[in-house]
Amino acid sequence: MKAKPSRSLLAISTTALALPGIAIADAPPVNSSLSYQVSNYKEDNLTREESPFGDLGRYDIDVHQFQFISPIGRNFSLQVDANYEDLSGASPWFTTLGPSGSPIVNLSGASGIEDSRSELSVGTRYYLENGSIGGNIGYSEENDYRATYGGISAERHFNNDLTTVSISLSYSSDDIFPTDAEIFNRVISEDKSSTSAAINISQIINQVSTFQTAFSITEQSGFLTDPYKLIDTRPDNKTQIAWSNSYRRYIRGSDAAWHVNYRFYHDDFGVTSHTADMSWHQNFGNTIQVIPMFRYYNQSAADFFTNVDDFSRPATDFQSSDYRLSAFGAISAGLTVKTTVGDWDATLTGERYLANEKYSAFSVSQPSAALVRYFRVSLGLDFSF
Amino acid sequence: MKLIRTLLFFTFSLSLLAACTQVRPWERGILAKEEMAWRTNALEGALNDHIFFSKEASSGGSSAAGGGCGCN
Repeated sequence: MKAKPSRSLLAISTTALALPGIAIADAPPVNSSLSYQVSNYKEDNLTREESPFGDLGRYDIDVHQFQFISPIGRNFSLQVDANYEDLSGASPWFTTLGPSGSPIVNLSGASGIEDSRSELSVGTRYYLENGSIGGNIGYSEENDYRATYGGISAERHFNNDLTTVSISLSYSSDDIFPTDAEIFNRVISEDKSSTSAAINISQIINQVSTFQTAFSITEQSGFLTDPYKLIDTRPDNKTQIAWSNSYRRYIRGSDAAWHVNYRFYHDDFGVTSHTADMSWHQNFGNTIQVIPMFRYYNQSAADFFTNVDDFSRPATDFQSSDYRLSAFGAISAGLTVKTTVGDWDATLTGERYLANEKYSAFSVSQPSAALVRYFRVSLGLDFSF
Repeated sequence: MKLIRTLLFFTFSLSLLAACTQVRPWERGILAKEEMAWRTNALEGALNDHIFFSKEASSGGSSAAGGGCGCN
């Protein structure tokens, strides 16, 4: 019987091939892997102060994720991703001025929303001497939304493989067909498209640290309005840019790695945001890893955001009370515990997310009454073979 | 103006990379550790991208955007 290679030896071989400069050519992964993660995140109920009338329950969402990666021959790899999402609950429908003079939220539908989303994406990568090229196509469908998308990417190593430059392009064509359109006087069918490009540069700094900077630009056009708001009118195109920076450092004495990320974002709806997050990947021997994480996010409001819907304005005027376009900040903290047993990895993650206008570094002239808070738990399994 | 400032920061960051030390191939063992990857858990990263996309106004950064969703 053929002896099964030790996981440690496979890991060393895999990482050696993955290291720039070690192998004569770039190479696909040595092993195949099958991964599954199930998650639930539940948004906190609104308070009576935020919504004096009707139900207070918001979204409760279950997510199933699958991923399969495998080498194909000497120079190719295959990746298949499948996701299934099941959600129920209610979302903000419109906002009005409450008895105390503060904005209050009215949630959609007495019976709530039931929806599910399925997504499938297939990609392949071809490995060359100093880099690789790849592409993927995908399809996502839910009760009221359909997206077909594709992308290509290429990367090349330079400077004795200390520097890697990658570029990527993607395009998505989406169809929107809101439920109960005739009952609630919503649009029957609309579409939108999204084109995106990104450039990413990674650099090995020294034996224990690396740095990455990336810039992306996305152009959206078509129906960008939320059809489930009682009144919501947005421009039919949006340009957005994002600049991300990441730093990784290994701490020898602690057998741990420190991750720091920062992103700047701006779009021509008027939203600017800053995102900073860090995590500490602490090893306990070869079988246990504990990863605490902290994230801080804050954004400015869109130019046409209003925290109280103005029904006296013409329907063609841009306005939206969508809390996602308001000025707010958000803090989230989480903990992941990962254990390795043979060819299996198991992870358990808990995360708490709190959005509040007081957390924003930007000026908040119109705080939203519908900011979201949620708790997420995820369980993941990974098998290498 | 903000776009010009962003591009200037980007160019400045690139110039700092020229100060990096030469790391020979046999010295890159630590860099190959799983915990040193840009994204140590692909499914966790994809889930976070999706959740934050549906709860916040921002998206994008490290790669071109993928498919959309209703996500109300």
